[in-house]
Amino acid sequence: MKNLRMKAARAALDLSQQELADAVGVSRQTINAIEKGDYNPTIKLCTAICRALGRTLDELFWEE
Amino acid sequence: MEERMGIAVGLTAGLAIGLLVVALLFRKKVLGCTFDERQERARGVAFRYGFFTLMGSVFLYGASELALGRWCDAMAGGCLCIAVSITVFAVICILKDAYLSLRERPWKIIVLFLALSLFNLGLGTVQLLRRGLLEDGVLSFRAVNLICGVMTLVILAVYLVNFSLERREEAE
Repeated sequence: MKNLRMKAARAALDLSQQELADAVGVSRQTINAIEKGDYNPTIKLCTAICRALGRTLDELFWEE
Repeated sequence: MEERMGIAVGLTAGLAIGLLVVALLFRKKVLGCTFDERQERARGVAFRYGFFTLMGSVFLYGASELALGRWCDAMAGGCLCIAVSITVFAVICILKDAYLSLRERPWKIIVLFLALSLFNLGLGTVQLLRRGLLEDGVLSFRAVNLICGVMTLVILAVYLVNFSLERREEAE
């Protein structure tokens, strides 16, 4: 399932996929795969992304 | 006999020196392979496919020799099996965007593989023109450079196609 909330949070900060990838120490393709729902990140990467985007885990990754 | 022994010693020494240089470059942190968690997982899958391809190709090589008689010497046959499995590993890594580590840049890899392809294909062509690749009707060790050249060329071609598709995706 696509992670549109993460994409929206990144866009709100005007960050490119590459900039977010550099901030959390992964490749651009990994950020792209997470946003497209092709890759399920570990909790460690989820928290790193949340810190970089200033959001909580619930806001970005919790599925109702 | 002496010539063959010299070639075997030369190949082994060359491989050992190559490995030593690469190990030294890693130790001095000139080379570094840091992959993220998705890439590590994708590379694990690629290693698995590469390993089973190696097993399959060694079996096929043995079976083909049993069925058809000796068609290539052990050095060429071994290199052929290794080349096929490395190609499978590399292609899967490339398709899963897990070939380059976080510090590597695409152009570096393209130049490296282009140089390796040209070097090996050039040496292979020289061998082909000078002495031929067959010895008593059997594919000899002199084909190793051509095998390596074709392998690096295939990997480069897949990388270039994937790279151009990715750039198009980035542009969109």
